[in-house]
Amino acid sequence: MILLRLLSWPYVRKHKLRTSLTIAGIALGVLVFVAMRTANNSVLYGFQQTVERIAGKAQLQISSGETGFPEEVLEKVQALPEVEVAVPVIEANLNTGRKGQGNLLVLAVDMTGDRSLRQYEFEEGEEAVVDDPLVFLAQPDSIIVTREFAAANGLTTNSKIRLETMDGPKQFTVRGIMKSGGLASAFGGNLAIMDIYAAQKVFGRGRTFDRIDLKLKPEISLEAGKAALQQALGPGFQIEPPSSRGKQFEAIAKLFGIAASLNSLFALLIGLFIIYNTFAVAVAQRRSEIGILRSLGASRNQIRGLFLSESVIMGLVGSLLGIVLGLLLAQAMSGYISTFLSEIYGVAQHTEEIAADPLVLVSAALIGIATSLAAAWIPANDAATADPVKAIHKGAWESFTDQESRLRLLGAVAFIIVAALCSFTGGKSGFRLYLGYLSVVLAAVMLTPAAVKCIVRLLRPLWRWLLPVEGALATDSLLQTPRRTSATVAAVMLSLSLVIGLGGVAAASYRSILDWMTAALNPDLFVGSSEQIADRSFRFPPEIGEQLQKLDFIDEVQMVRSARVLYKDTPVMMVSTSLESLRRRIRPKAVAGDLEKAYREAARGEGVILSDNLALQHGLKVGDIMEISSPSGVLKLPVLAITIDYSDQRGALLMERSLYIEKWKDPTVNLFRVYLKPGVAPEEAKRRILERFAQERKLFVMTNQQVRDYILRITDQWFGLTYMQIFVAVLVAVLGIVNSLTVSITDRRRELAVLQAVGGLRRQVRQAVWMEALGIGAVSLVLGLLLGAVILQYYLDAIREDLAGMRLDYYYPTRIALLLVPTMLITSFVSALWPAETAVRTSLVEALEYE
Amino acid sequence: MSNSNARTRSSCRRVFFLLLAAQALAQDARQIMVEVQNRARSNSQHYEGVLKVVDSKSKVSEKRWTYDRIGSAGQSKVILRFTAPAEVKGVAVLVINHPDRASDQWMWTPSLQRDRRIALQDRSTRFFGTDFSFEDLEERDVEQFDYKLLGEEKCGESVCYKLESRPRKTKVSQYSHSFLWVEKERMIILRIEGYQRDRLVRRIQYSDHQKVQNIWTPLLIEVEDVGRKSKTILRTDKLQYNAPMKEEMFTLQALRRES
Repeated sequence: MILLRLLSWPYVRKHKLRTSLTIAGIALGVLVFVAMRTANNSVLYGFQQTVERIAGKAQLQISSGETGFPEEVLEKVQALPEVEVAVPVIEANLNTGRKGQGNLLVLAVDMTGDRSLRQYEFEEGEEAVVDDPLVFLAQPDSIIVTREFAAANGLTTNSKIRLETMDGPKQFTVRGIMKSGGLASAFGGNLAIMDIYAAQKVFGRGRTFDRIDLKLKPEISLEAGKAALQQALGPGFQIEPPSSRGKQFEAIAKLFGIAASLNSLFALLIGLFIIYNTFAVAVAQRRSEIGILRSLGASRNQIRGLFLSESVIMGLVGSLLGIVLGLLLAQAMSGYISTFLSEIYGVAQHTEEIAADPLVLVSAALIGIATSLAAAWIPANDAATADPVKAIHKGAWESFTDQESRLRLLGAVAFIIVAALCSFTGGKSGFRLYLGYLSVVLAAVMLTPAAVKCIVRLLRPLWRWLLPVEGALATDSLLQTPRRTSATVAAVMLSLSLVIGLGGVAAASYRSILDWMTAALNPDLFVGSSEQIADRSFRFPPEIGEQLQKLDFIDEVQMVRSARVLYKDTPVMMVSTSLESLRRRIRPKAVAGDLEKAYREAARGEGVILSDNLALQHGLKVGDIMEISSPSGVLKLPVLAITIDYSDQRGALLMERSLYIEKWKDPTVNLFRVYLKPGVAPEEAKRRILERFAQERKLFVMTNQQVRDYILRITDQWFGLTYMQIFVAVLVAVLGIVNSLTVSITDRRRELAVLQAVGGLRRQVRQAVWMEALGIGAVSLVLGLLLGAVILQYYLDAIREDLAGMRLDYYYPTRIALLLVPTMLITSFVSALWPAETAVRTSLVEALEYE
Repeated sequence: MSNSNARTRSSCRRVFFLLLAAQALAQDARQIMVEVQNRARSNSQHYEGVLKVVDSKSKVSEKRWTYDRIGSAGQSKVILRFTAPAEVKGVAVLVINHPDRASDQWMWTPSLQRDRRIALQDRSTRFFGTDFSFEDLEERDVEQFDYKLLGEEKCGESVCYKLESRPRKTKVSQYSHSFLWVEKERMIILRIEGYQRDRLVRRIQYSDHQKVQNIWTPLLIEVEDVGRKSKTILRTDKLQYNAPMKEEMFTLQALRRES
């Protein structure tokens, strides 16, 4: 405590900027961790809250994936003696088209019985109107909205609101306004209630329901009720408590959660290096003090404890700052993530508030402190084990002893051997993959001082050629302080390698998606019900397809119905269409099986074709039998072929449309793939289709190029995180280089002053510092780009085998690498501006008196 | 020993007579209700009804319907068609009563061009904003209830039998029991009170009885939802019994076709 007050506190006060940078390093890691976790949790929590508020008193919900089921199922359920109340539900997401209003979640129910399950509380004075279900039911334009939505849109009872329907835009009449709270607060208050039979028409659902919500008789246990229902309905139905919908959503968005976790880890790793760097610098700067303390009898433990205590305090301050900033960032991010997930997965959810999980916050603080402690451990240990005489001697501290260098090399070799062993023994997944990855990273860190030495030596002639005196001074400074230089270089190298790795994944994904789009997404036009392709709220009757087919400029129309179904409790995208037509039109890349034969057999309903990622995630091979639950029972279909297909992140299975209609009793269509006759311009065809249908149908026509752009835009958003990482990498570089140079200049104050005293120009000193910074930048770039090339392969293996099942070809992200070269050099240069000015503006007398 | 045997015999006799008396009373109660049902029996019925719904704040709303029934005593079929106000015009309800179980009910919404089944679980809910429940639209066939005669009471100027009815197992009802007041002289129901355990849920009063085609018929029915403190007054007009009607009129197809 005394040492902290006498030594650490004055040091902190004297080096406010460096202390701030250290705290910023910890804060940055914690901030990203808290922000990503909290934003992700908030989206899941928002979804769960909406589910719970909408569920009301429902104990169980019956569904059949996203496909819905025929109305008759309701009568079956209502007739069961275990069931007290069972009510049908349709849920749909409507774009209000009003600025800032976002989407409106429409909950369609049967008002005659729904009040047994859900509490509808209306604004005073309006009850009589809404309470007359006859008026509500007799008028299909009836809608009930929440107080919040009404207030935001200036609506009162009997106001008209224009909404999109399958029959084009329609006016709806507000027949009631619900009080705030409870059900009305679901989906952030952007909720509307509609009659279920009106909704069937509005959303083109035919005579199907999405779900049945039910309450069991008081004497029936949940398990008994579930068993009775399952027995009555068969295995094609999922009977789960409402809370399980949250888990399904989590499963759908699993990949996003993994990406968020990886980002958090990335940030923390970077934070670790910043702290290590800062403490290494602090130990270097205070070596004289350490030497004196040790000479005066301070024990090794006291010295170690001093630095570790500092790291804990800084870790705590940085963590708290990171938590506060992280929560603020989460607030800003959650809305974006929410919209993004809606676009990717087509699942309606709304984030209302930040779900700050105390466990995440406490973990963040502990991780921040632990990271700080771990990062400070080596410098603190170095300080504690230093020889007092050597410590007092300036300069010796900055270099590695021969023994240290040997140990580092041996360590690096050992890690390379481990990585090689992992790789040669099939380490493409699981523990061996990650052990191999960790070994490569550790080997790179161990080799950094030696690599820095080699590269700086290679740079020296170039630097001298550019500026003889300044270049020599800069490279010599780097060579004389390998400990400090290699710490900074290692941090920036790791940061850059991660950017290359993730950039490589992004580049490989783009290439693969482009290849897939060229092979499979070749129709001239896509006719859907929304500008968001993933949105499946609206469905077309098949007659629209027949009407499209009759247009003289259209060659062929493929009717597509896609919906998520559960396969082994995992949501899987099922795509049904005419496979014979598809066989003639597309040429997907086959991974396994004879595609031509597979398409013919699948067209006869004799099996399914799987996407590669689905097959990998479930360990399915050609010839395996898939058991797919449908409302008509379990379908046992063989896997006929496996293709590259990026229709859905969690995998897709392709099925013949007629088989789907037969088993799911659902002839509706989500999307029409339209092939035009030769010579017909897509834009002209689009105009003519809109002219023909726009007045009577809600219809969006997109050209092939627009769909490709849409998919690439979504992919861009997905990989938007990569750009954030580039930003973090640049920030790390700035922090690292500023720190390193500041110490370098402080250490060389006397040397620089002597240089000026004997006639050296300020310009020369300034340029020497710039060159030193550019040297760090250049070395880090070379090492980062090389390490990135290696770890990219690990990332691709992890994505393929463990995370998403996506088969991505190795593709070095040359564009990102080229972008990083000027970015890092400019960053290094900019980072050096302030330290360089400090170097030249210090009083000569004061500097010469240093030490 | 002999004393004890005598006491036992005496007790048994007493229980036997009590049971006999109870059976006789039950028998009387059933006969009363059978008589009520027989006197009101007709092959068909038609009327135009005006419904006035008075809510707890005395706000009044009005609806009109036409009522057609074919058959009687547990085998009847009813179609109700709303004729006013404009926003509900054309909405129709088909009720098919069964002697051994709850009725089947469907509602037709012309603007949507589709019918919906009213589930059994929903029969206790209010009938489209009136104080009738869906169950109250069903025929109260004597065979679906057990009756007990509770005694006689003065009902205004008349004397009434007071009976208790309890639904039989086959009958799904929201009411655990009901009390009925039957006027002795004309054998017509004047009042029904429906209970859920000890709680009075609904009170139905029949008044303005007139003899139409030899059947005493209440032209005014007042239903009070005790919990909500609201009431609905149904006045019947253009009442006609035994008018020729076809069975085909009382089907889902006809419901769809004729609205």
